[in-house]
Amino acid sequence: MKSLLSLSRSIDRLNEQVGRLVYWLVLVAVLISAGNAISRYTLNLSSNAWLEIQWYLFSAIFLLSAGYTLLYNQHVRIDVVSARLSRRARAWIDILGTLLFLLPVAIAILWMSWPIFVTAFKVHEMSSNAGGLPVWPARLLMPVGFLLLTLQGLSELVKRIAFLQGLIADPSEKLTGPTAEEQLADEIRKQRGEPA
Amino acid sequence: MSAFIAANMAPLMFAALIVVMLFGYPVAFALAAVGIFFGLLGIELGMLQATLFQALPERVWGVMSNDTLLAVPFFTFMGLILERSGMAEDLLDTIGQLFGPLRGGLALAVIFVGALLAATTGVVAASVISMGLISLPIMLRYGYDRRFATGVIAASGTLAQIIPPSLVLILMADQLGRSVGDLYQGAFIPGLVLAGMYALYAIGIATLKPAWAPALPPEARTFREANGDSGTSSLGVLFVVSVAAAVAFAQLYYPPDAPTDVLLVVSTSVGVAVAFVASVLNTVLKLGLLSKIATRVTFVLIPPLALIFLVLGTIFLGVATPTEGGAMGATGALIMAVARNRLSFTLLRQAMEATARLTSFVVFILVGARVFSLTFYGVDGHIWVEHLLTALPGGQMGFLIVVNIMVFLLAFFLDFFELAFIVVPLLAPVADKLGIDLVWFGVLLAVNMQTSFMHPPFGFALFYLRSVAPDKDFIDKVTGKLTPRVTTGQIYWGAVPFVLIQIIMVALIIAFPGLVTGGLAKKAVIDTDSLRIEVPAEAPALDGDPGSNNSGNQGTDTSAPPADDDPVRALERALQQPAEPTDAGKSTDKK
Repeated sequence: MKSLLSLSRSIDRLNEQVGRLVYWLVLVAVLISAGNAISRYTLNLSSNAWLEIQWYLFSAIFLLSAGYTLLYNQHVRIDVVSARLSRRARAWIDILGTLLFLLPVAIAILWMSWPIFVTAFKVHEMSSNAGGLPVWPARLLMPVGFLLLTLQGLSELVKRIAFLQGLIADPSEKLTGPTAEEQLADEIRKQRGEPA
Repeated sequence: MSAFIAANMAPLMFAALIVVMLFGYPVAFALAAVGIFFGLLGIELGMLQATLFQALPERVWGVMSNDTLLAVPFFTFMGLILERSGMAEDLLDTIGQLFGPLRGGLALAVIFVGALLAATTGVVAASVISMGLISLPIMLRYGYDRRFATGVIAASGTLAQIIPPSLVLILMADQLGRSVGDLYQGAFIPGLVLAGMYALYAIGIATLKPAWAPALPPEARTFREANGDSGTSSLGVLFVVSVAAAVAFAQLYYPPDAPTDVLLVVSTSVGVAVAFVASVLNTVLKLGLLSKIATRVTFVLIPPLALIFLVLGTIFLGVATPTEGGAMGATGALIMAVARNRLSFTLLRQAMEATARLTSFVVFILVGARVFSLTFYGVDGHIWVEHLLTALPGGQMGFLIVVNIMVFLLAFFLDFFELAFIVVPLLAPVADKLGIDLVWFGVLLAVNMQTSFMHPPFGFALFYLRSVAPDKDFIDKVTGKLTPRVTTGQIYWGAVPFVLIQIIMVALIIAFPGLVTGGLAKKAVIDTDSLRIEVPAEAPALDGDPGSNNSGNQGTDTSAPPADDDPVRALERALQQPAEPTDAGKSTDKK
């Protein structure tokens, strides 16, 4: 179990690093898309490659941060029922959910998307738009994204089991710092000179 | 047993969906797993082709190359930057001072600012938190009824859901196969009408129950001229001059047949520009012609109005696609935050982080829903739903009433991501078949789903308000009086009248479809979609997905993609082909 936990920590670190890198793409995508719009209307310039990079970035954002989002337990749940259960029961829900839902889905898509990337890479698949980009980087995002998700699923599984064995504290509590809403509330209070 | 399963595959699948969602594991993966499990079952029972799942990566690919969804991170990021830029605080302080001396004025200020924030950001939580921290304490201090005060704040915050640019309209457009621009235009007037109805309710309360909504006492008014005058007459004059300039511009420079929304956008900009120039001249040259409050109001209104013009204006004028509008708005918000010296590295990082996570979980719900629908449509689930819904008495009207009651009830448990991705794709083809305009239908559902934020006890707006409203009795720092805490019951009861207003609004849209379609009939001829460079070969799965297929014509499979000379794509398509007929709802067994 000890080695599994250290594996889990490595996976957490990996997705943390990937997430921190990937979220910069949000800013890049915003600037590129705004630049595209402005250059088209002011300079009458338009390029398919720059348009395509927009959705490459979008895909990179949502696929590559899937594991990171799972690490922070932010995939949407309907917790009407589970919120009333004990921590142990919720850990069981996560274990069963990971085994029955997440891992089969993520591994299936990972498995099927890899050959598509390999083909695209081998034949140098290009976008069908004039001046478009090579397609393989986008094709690569899918297996990589689902691989990161699969790994994070395994890490969460290990953490839940370790929690049930009493080896670690409840992992779903660990990473919940202030939410975006709490940060906003604190910021407004600070601006107005009130105690947070 | 297997005969029973085979005969009831779609209802069983639907039941399984409900069970696994209530299980409490992230919806995205539960949905996809139900799709895969039933797909395997269907293959085992000979109902589905064994090649069904080869279309799976193509489903994800369709989501990736979707231009519409790109607007989701842009508007989210814009909202997150903007909510921290201090704009909301300035607006609430200033407009509160302006309207405060009237009875019910603080409530009106909250509604007005709520609508203004809704038209710039579209983040419910941000509006509710700002108002809960800035307006609620003032309302409590001067004796507003607690239920009324909390209800107004929660409801005004949810305006962000319906007034464009809102996320729910983007997702709805994607699922209905209509353009985001059309949904934005369709929702604009209903959103304003809704804000107007909130205002009417507030005025009604102020008239019938004056004790619930008292005016600010004189000592609470901070904007004073040297001679003790409130300075509002000066603001009135400035307002009249600006409106006159706008109207004159509209009369002189625009042909009478110009589209209404374009006319509104352009002439409003002219009016705002006049007020702005007057205020700047007055301040710089120290003319002393305008009162403090007049210049202050002008200066706080400029940033939101400029952003509204940058985003909605350019979208409505057809200059930018909604995606680009979102990107420009996000850039504008960044510039504004820098100008106000509010943009720190930490804030930027927090905003990007939150945007990336939100984008990921929203899009993954969609991916899950696509995997679910691959099997669900394969086993004719859509036909089952269609039979259920078309069998309702009363045709169109019966359908609309049942659907609205259903969505209203589901909104107690589901948030709008789940409603938009799971429920809407099932309803849209039926609505289309019944001859219902899908843009109108989308706006109607969006107004209905807005209640999901206000439903006690799970409504998010109530939850966020609870998190910032005082939960202990406290000493008010201005009056020094012991003020009782705001109870959760007060917040819940406060929302009830506004949920009722929402229901009335749904009924109004059904009774007067012109509220939505009026804005569309006269819309600009520029087609924003034609501005994009088409990426047809990238999205065959999208076209083939009846969930997003706007024709509602499920029998014809449209995923035969345009010819291109790319061998890989041809290969993939050949692989996919056998799966397509099942995908399009021609399974062998059931019908």
